[in-house]
Amino acid sequence: MAIEKTDIVIVGMGAVGGILAAELGKAGMKVVGLERGPRLTTADFNPHDELRYFQRQDLRPNWKRQPVTWRANPSVRARPMNVLNYGNQAGGGTVHYGTLSWRMHEDDFRARSQTIEKYGASAIPQDSSLADWPVTYADLEPYYDRAEYELGVSGKAGNLQGKKVDGGNPFEAPRNRDYPLPPLLMDQSGVLFAEGARKLGYHPFSSPRAIISQPYHDRASCTYCGFCQAFGCHVGAKSSILVTKLPEADATGNFKLITGATCHHVNTDNSGRATGVAYYGPDGSDNTVEAEIVILAPFIYDNTRLLLLSKTDKFPNGLANSSGQLGKHVMAHIMAKVFAAYDDRYVNIYMGPSAQKHTIDDFNADNFDHSGLGFIRGAQISIGPADLEAGPIGTAMSMDPPPGTPKWGAAYRDFLGKYFTRYGAINAQTENLAYADQTIDLDPEVRDQWGMPAPRVTYDWRRPNERARVEFLLQKMEGVAHAMGATQVWRGALSPGAPGAHHEGGTRMGNDPKTSVVNRYGQTWDIPNLFLIGSSTFPSMSGFNPTLTIQALAYMSADAILKRYKSKPGPLA
Amino acid sequence: MAKHDASRREFLVRAAVGAGAAAGAAASAGLVPGAAAQDQMSHMEGAASAPGQQHPSGSEHGAFFNHADAATIAAFTERLMPSAPGKPGARDADVLNYIDLALAGAYAELQDFYRRGLAQLEAYCRATYKEPFVRLNPEQQDEVITSLENGKATGFTYPSAREFFNTLRIHTMEGMFADPLYGGNRDFAGWKLVGFPGAQAIFTPTDLQSTQAFTREPIVGLQTIAKGPAGRG
Repeated sequence: MAIEKTDIVIVGMGAVGGILAAELGKAGMKVVGLERGPRLTTADFNPHDELRYFQRQDLRPNWKRQPVTWRANPSVRARPMNVLNYGNQAGGGTVHYGTLSWRMHEDDFRARSQTIEKYGASAIPQDSSLADWPVTYADLEPYYDRAEYELGVSGKAGNLQGKKVDGGNPFEAPRNRDYPLPPLLMDQSGVLFAEGARKLGYHPFSSPRAIISQPYHDRASCTYCGFCQAFGCHVGAKSSILVTKLPEADATGNFKLITGATCHHVNTDNSGRATGVAYYGPDGSDNTVEAEIVILAPFIYDNTRLLLLSKTDKFPNGLANSSGQLGKHVMAHIMAKVFAAYDDRYVNIYMGPSAQKHTIDDFNADNFDHSGLGFIRGAQISIGPADLEAGPIGTAMSMDPPPGTPKWGAAYRDFLGKYFTRYGAINAQTENLAYADQTIDLDPEVRDQWGMPAPRVTYDWRRPNERARVEFLLQKMEGVAHAMGATQVWRGALSPGAPGAHHEGGTRMGNDPKTSVVNRYGQTWDIPNLFLIGSSTFPSMSGFNPTLTIQALAYMSADAILKRYKSKPGPLA
Repeated sequence: MAKHDASRREFLVRAAVGAGAAAGAAASAGLVPGAAAQDQMSHMEGAASAPGQQHPSGSEHGAFFNHADAATIAAFTERLMPSAPGKPGARDADVLNYIDLALAGAYAELQDFYRRGLAQLEAYCRATYKEPFVRLNPEQQDEVITSLENGKATGFTYPSAREFFNTLRIHTMEGMFADPLYGGNRDFAGWKLVGFPGAQAIFTPTDLQSTQAFTREPIVGLQTIAKGPAGRG
């Protein structure tokens, strides 16, 4: 049982943990980082092995040893989810992610106000807990900029300081300067998608991705191998935390990474202060890190779980839960899909970075008039392979054949044999609203490898607002697919209620300690030296992938800790 | 602490047995307790199981399946992905060998799932057609598979008919398309079927602009990479 002391302990070395470790370490603070998984290197990612990395999820948590359970509603028994879309190594999900790096729109930060102003309060579903953020886009802009430049994001500006720029996203919020790297090369699915979308008057553009299109910071650029989402990059072109911020943290001399470390408790004292954390080592030992500041930065489930597991007499409902909001307002994207297949040409969608290659933002956020549509908010619409990964196993798992074609037998063999190289999938990544009864709590039956209760997610995306939005988007995507000149167009199957990727919420941020768990800096209202940083704090989710916003929040919190908290510990907001 | 350690050990033992299931298989199977080791031993006894032994079907097995079960799996997976001239199927790819090796290794926790599923399949075929699955003609075999897929086959408890079908479909696809390192996709049969060039380290701007099939040789597999003169740094 080891005990060590440090200034800062960070739980989870992913998108948030790596940034904080580097920034706080550079300022001279002693940082200990706990990581449940191993620390791999680029050399570990050489083999392009779809079975290992995509199908068997080698870079993600083993869902049997580290189960997360799901149920659609409280009347059914929760079962472990068999796909966990987060990371399980130093660098976290940024090692295997698809790298989509979006700045949220201005109205994404004030979706509630925006909706009321334009459509009236009655447009918000009565049971939705849609809320504005305690942060504006303008607050985050400098931190978005830092994340793009320090990590390396490729893309093209569509709005430079308020001036629209051709070729970028005309709906994006104004940015101070362009991306540090030009867009990645287009593949044929992007070419087709862009042509089709333009015919309909939409505004296609290359999705901004944390993959370097040119050599940058001594790293080699993308080789377009296509083994991208679900894989570690074999040349280090993916701007993962593993190849960007962790080396920076190492270089400070103030950072110590402990791998194989599973945090199981946040320790607090009678004064209500966090004193550190306890973790199991890879040998099963129970260890303690004492720290002045405790920062929790795991994937969202473990924030809620750790706070519930760490309850004391002083905090009988879990730490930082005086509001009663802990574990509530959980959100997740789902993907609605339309397939476009060609008889007269090849698409070769397995070439190039695999996730959400080319995008239209015309039906996202409040970028279109929702009057009379029966729903609010929208989705990012993009082209890519069936499940954001383009290998043949993934295709056989996720490319639903068109109506009338079976999923096995000679007809299926011929379908797959013909269209594997001749199709693209148009995906809508929907901004599902927050609802208070979408929750994370402790599973009463299922335990993990360490004997701790599994996080249990209660969630069903199939709400009237969300169903109406999906139907609207499917029709728009069918329109795009036809405009792309596809020979065959058909819809993919929809998720049966289960959350998709990018789970968010559970420790909501806000301006009011009565209705939120943390303030804008991720500092808990109840315990000023306990911070929760990451998408668990998102009040709403937008139709965009969350990682760049998570990273911008991490930079903002690091600044607040260094410039204000360090000299005067206490509430920052 | 002692209590915690005891339950932890117990979990670790179970976890070790249950490690590494595939995404899809697990979906249908849920948390499957590992088969008792003793049960495995008695089952394996008497089954000629020399590794690499040729089965009458021409496919390899021997790491897990006995002859009869191997023949059933070979026939079943061949109906899921039938071989035809110029169109490699499960037999060409040696899907049986993939599943056999997987069940002896990464998917060892699914041994009992398969054992029980196969027994139920045989019972259903005998009750419905008075013959085992391998003796049915292809049309009858397809009827059986359809009845599993839509959950109408009777007599299935664990695994359910649908779970057994889904798992066999997933494992067939893995055996068709996983790198040959894992025992299937023989001679890149599956990749040739769909036109996948394998683990290419790079695609050029010209490749990205092409509207034609990508035909540049060779198809690259993991063992090619491992043996390559300079590797792919």
